[in-house]
Amino acid sequence: MRRTEELIRQLAMDVKPVRSHAIGWRIAVGILGGGAISLLLLIAVFGIRPDLHEALRDFSFWVRSLYTVSLGIGAMFVTASLARPDNVRAHWLWLLVVPVLLLTGIGIGEMANVPLSNWQSLWLGRSWKVCPWRILMLSAPIFAGMLWAFRRFAPTRLPLAGAAAGLTAGAWSATLYGLYCQEESAIFVLTWFTLGMLLAALLGAFLGRRLLRW
Amino acid sequence: MLSGLEGDGQAHAALLSALVPILRSFYRRRVPGGGDFLDDIEDLVQETLIAVHSRRDSYDRTRPFTVWLFAIARYKLIDNLRRCRAMEPVEDLLDILVAEGFEDATLARMDLKRLLEILPAKQAKAIWDTKIDGLSVAEAANSSRISASDLKISVHRGLRTLVARIRGGQ
Repeated sequence: MRRTEELIRQLAMDVKPVRSHAIGWRIAVGILGGGAISLLLLIAVFGIRPDLHEALRDFSFWVRSLYTVSLGIGAMFVTASLARPDNVRAHWLWLLVVPVLLLTGIGIGEMANVPLSNWQSLWLGRSWKVCPWRILMLSAPIFAGMLWAFRRFAPTRLPLAGAAAGLTAGAWSATLYGLYCQEESAIFVLTWFTLGMLLAALLGAFLGRRLLRW
Repeated sequence: MLSGLEGDGQAHAALLSALVPILRSFYRRRVPGGGDFLDDIEDLVQETLIAVHSRRDSYDRTRPFTVWLFAIARYKLIDNLRRCRAMEPVEDLLDILVAEGFEDATLARMDLKRLLEILPAKQAKAIWDTKIDGLSVAEAANSSRISASDLKISVHRGLRTLVARIRGGQ
């Protein structure tokens, strides 16, 4: 039919080269772009913890950062695999269990070293009520960056892809929030940081069904 | 596809044009009521072409192109059905499922073509005519303008090479 030939002719006029790892690049650019806005938001609303210099020498700061960064990288791989139409399952998903288990181990070790009466303050800290919500809020710009990346992708499992994108956004937003948050205990991070990321994943699954359609 | 990914507009146009007949028969077998809705089918074909074009970032060069293509085509079909679900009776799903064999057949044909490329042209044609198009030995020999015994030898040698290649795991 005439119209189809016309369409092909138009499409072929705009053929930009595609990098060989285009998906990874776009996701990385989306995270960096969104992350820059999240960082500005963090500085404007909360600020950076004043003792960051000292914290850099602190074991718990690095544990927390490694936890969120490794989840962020792992979730990126899961998201990238779901960006292809011929991938039905979420590859690499099991890898995300590794940092969770490691942090659980550290948390148990920590609790074993303090008396029972301190467990509650270790677990709830001073900010358990707000921490997950702040992470969710800071994840919004990064999630928007992921949505931008997905405009060239072809996901077929929309809620799953949305959840993976949300988890990625949540994990990187938690990493940034770690620059402000002064909670030290592993069990706090394991509970409330993870909860914030899961909220982002849940919202991502919900939004993905609508926003990732193509 | 690969030249298209590198920015070669002509190769890209050639690819899209080559996909049109494949996609038309893909959708004709699946859209309930088949031939009565040529416009719907053409819309689906065009939507798929646009997706193949604008979402080509999502193609992994190391993987089979057809699998990627049909994944997109199937998504577009399901999306289309979902949009007009109110009007679609459920039993039409059966037609869609029954038509699934078509995709395998197309894939198999494309794989076969690639496999036959390793043979000399005469052997490849002999095998294609007799084993796939189902011509008799006499007919095939006639169309290739060789003797019947020559044709049989070509088929035999070609198949032997193929078997050796497949056993060799390539």
